[in-house]
Amino acid sequence: MGPGRLVTDGQLAGRPVYIGARLPRVEDERLLAGRGRYVADVHLPGAVEMVVLRSQLAHANVRVDLSAVSAADGVVAAVTADDLVGVSPIPDFFTDARPVREFLLQQGRARYVGAPLAAVVAADRYLAEDALELAQVEYEDLPAVTTIEDALAPGAPLLFDDWPDNRVVVMPDDDPETDRVFASAWGVVHGRYRIQRHTAVPLETRGAIAEYRDGRLTVWTSSQIPHILRTLIAMVLHIPERDIRVIAPDVGGGFGAKAQVFPEEFLVCWLARRLGRPVRFVEDRNEHLQATGHARDQLIDLEAAIDERGRIQAVRGSIFHDVGSGEIYPCGFNPSAVTWSAITGPYRIAHQRVDVTCVVTNKTPSGAYRGFGNPEAAFVIERLMQKAAVAAGVDPLELRRSMLLAPDDLPYTTPTGSIVSSGSHRPAFEAVIEGGKVAVERARARFAGRSDVRIGLGFANYLEGTVPSYFPNTGNWGGQDSVSVRFEPDGGVTVASGVTTTGQGVRTMLATLAADTLGVPLESIRVVIGDTDEAPYGLGGWGSRSTGVAGGAMLKAAGTVREKARRIAAHLLEAAPEDVIVADGAFRVAGSPESSVTWRDVATAAYVRTLDLPTDVEPGLESTATFVPPGIDHRPRPDGRMNACATYTNASHAAVVKVDLGTGAVTVLEYLVVHDCGTLINPVIVEGQIHGGVAQGLGGALLEDLPYTPEGQPMAVTFMDYLLPSATDVPPISIEHFESPDPNMPYGAKGAGEAGIIGPAAAVAWAVEDALAEFEIDEITETPVTAPFVWRSLQAARARTSAASPVGTR
Amino acid sequence: MNPITKPVAETTIDLSVNGRQVTRTVPVRRTLADFLRDDLELTGTHLGCEHGVCGACTVLIDGRPSRSCILLAVQADGCAVTTVEGITPPEGLNPMQQAFKDHHGLQCGFCTPGFLMTLTGSDPDDYPDDGAIRELLSGNLCRCTGYQKIVEAVRDAWGRDGS
Repeated sequence: MGPGRLVTDGQLAGRPVYIGARLPRVEDERLLAGRGRYVADVHLPGAVEMVVLRSQLAHANVRVDLSAVSAADGVVAAVTADDLVGVSPIPDFFTDARPVREFLLQQGRARYVGAPLAAVVAADRYLAEDALELAQVEYEDLPAVTTIEDALAPGAPLLFDDWPDNRVVVMPDDDPETDRVFASAWGVVHGRYRIQRHTAVPLETRGAIAEYRDGRLTVWTSSQIPHILRTLIAMVLHIPERDIRVIAPDVGGGFGAKAQVFPEEFLVCWLARRLGRPVRFVEDRNEHLQATGHARDQLIDLEAAIDERGRIQAVRGSIFHDVGSGEIYPCGFNPSAVTWSAITGPYRIAHQRVDVTCVVTNKTPSGAYRGFGNPEAAFVIERLMQKAAVAAGVDPLELRRSMLLAPDDLPYTTPTGSIVSSGSHRPAFEAVIEGGKVAVERARARFAGRSDVRIGLGFANYLEGTVPSYFPNTGNWGGQDSVSVRFEPDGGVTVASGVTTTGQGVRTMLATLAADTLGVPLESIRVVIGDTDEAPYGLGGWGSRSTGVAGGAMLKAAGTVREKARRIAAHLLEAAPEDVIVADGAFRVAGSPESSVTWRDVATAAYVRTLDLPTDVEPGLESTATFVPPGIDHRPRPDGRMNACATYTNASHAAVVKVDLGTGAVTVLEYLVVHDCGTLINPVIVEGQIHGGVAQGLGGALLEDLPYTPEGQPMAVTFMDYLLPSATDVPPISIEHFESPDPNMPYGAKGAGEAGIIGPAAAVAWAVEDALAEFEIDEITETPVTAPFVWRSLQAARARTSAASPVGTR
Repeated sequence: MNPITKPVAETTIDLSVNGRQVTRTVPVRRTLADFLRDDLELTGTHLGCEHGVCGACTVLIDGRPSRSCILLAVQADGCAVTTVEGITPPEGLNPMQQAFKDHHGLQCGFCTPGFLMTLTGSDPDDYPDDGAIRELLSGNLCRCTGYQKIVEAVRDAWGRDGS
């Protein structure tokens, strides 16, 4: 692919050298050598260890007696909510959602298993955990609700006594035109779909260590949102924000789980200040699966009005979202709003009326996980489209072809207001069909003659909204971020940004954009992110936003620096600035290539040889810029529609599966992705994002589940119960890149962080049905598609067949 | 009244860590991972689950991949322990590490030392094809990469062509 062919003239210093190249990452060497520094690797002198007492019941009034804990060996502090003097709840910023008043430790009422009741600090973790066992907790058991249906039932037990019911947010929808379309439709198909609770589960659990020294608080935390946390610490602990420094060092994966603030991050700060020594908390895996945000857990009731060719004219229905106890910030309900906005996908469906109801239950608060409502939408619309194809008796591929956005349709506004201005929706689908058909034949040949297995092929198409507004899940902030570009006197460059990384290669992305925008070697750039003292204010790493939003800030900041440097260089060269060109790390006068000055000469003049500067140029060579993604709505417009994302990546997926008829086990043999995120800044990194997303998507489709007993006890609390995909569960994944740049986005780049995870559940469900077509199993309406689930489906289908057969023919 | 006995018994252990002889007195309940990370400051060994499933804490004990989170330091008495720090040359990377870098076989890097130690302790001849490599790696969980580029890195480091 031609690097930079999609980048607008004048944005870069010259011909791009790095954008589009398959460069190795700048961050890798230290991580490979074991020199990464994750939170648990931050060792401070005199540090003590905090552990958390957690509720063992899902819903209870609790009284905690820590007297024995306080007396135990090595304990330096043991606190409950009553001890947290001067601490505020995390504010409830939304006026249209019911307040949950999340407090750092539960104030007498626990609403989920794992809810924090008390914090204990001791000399080391062994002693702290010993002491924790001495806590006396009196529980007054309250009835629990653990499903959407139970939470909404009349007379259901209430989580919050001052609420009239368990609805935290209701988003009604009103579109009379949708009902008119249904009234005159050729046919209607309907489905009720359930996407199970599962979640991000980064390999590094959460952790935080705080030090209060000389009037300043420093906290190292495994976070995707260090500036957001700093602002909230200031609000909750009432410490001037200038005196707080939040550092996200190397972060061992996040995927949304760490794009939330958690009580422990505040508790270590409060305790460090009170104790006058560093306090550390490192979550264990058992805690992680109960106390770090869960995700998904939606029930979607959707019907489609179709014409005689199966084409969907309108959809209507309801999204129900189980957000657990709701005690989490940013708020847990926004994924279902994203599902609402994504449910028609890349298909031309003119009308939609879908309301959203978010309910609280006695389960772990749920919130962000990669995909953020999009996988749910893709699963539902692809499932419903299969039904439409059956109802109309049309080929399911043809049906999709007839509904996918064509180039002529763009720019296209979806019924919920998303504005899709570019993409390769149909060509990507055709490419994946072609690849999928070859792959499924390969699989059929491999298993030819095996009567105990069946092979199937399934597809999924979707849009991934990227670079979104932050307002809908925080009640604050639009979607801005910042970049600063600073030359040092020796010509080296320090680039800092408010976006952060949890492994996506953001440092490499920033260095790449800076190098080509300034026209300097990549090696001359140092990137600083994840440190609120060093980086300009920003919203962190989530929402497939970093390239789009930091890219915009980079263009402004680096462009300002480059133009100032050009004026300095022109003065040094005794030429007019407009005659000076910058390329290959130097400034030259057009037409006289022998006269040149280097970036180092310019930087030295800017800081050290300042008497050489033109009289009207101030010393220094740096700039900080903030960028707000263009064209996004932060709230619904008066007509109820909103475009919450700056741009929309598209992709088409195909899954080839093998189903074992004896056990029901589903094996994914091959997975194909045709992907279009506009200009590829680094194709290798994009591939890595897709691979990882697909693996997580397959985990959600086949393995991962966070079930609860009716009493609210979590049943998956270790890696023996919560099954992450291993190297033998994830098949070879082939990727084909298309590049449809977004003319409105910096560098033409869209975003790719969440793409891989959106398609797998939809593609796998279709593939399993395809494999088992001869048995006429019931439509797959829920995930995960586990072996027992498939086996029961087969049993049920066989029972129907034999019941329908005349006696004696079995 | 306090059911906890005074700090538990300690014992002195002698072992070699990354080729260096180490003699330390440790509480008998101290895990090998905590001993390596906190006492010896070898923080390249990571803890992902602390119950022996994820493999992030994998080290070599007498050359064999072992889970340091479910071993006690005292169990390594008299053994030779190797961590990721011990397989890294003073300058640059070893061939397997370099292959991971060349093939984008890591993202957040948290699980990576565990993968490297599993691979270092394994004989390529026992894992002749991609399927066998995936079997070998199935005891190490990675949440970022989807494993594909790790498999490609291993293939490259072991001098193999595609699949």
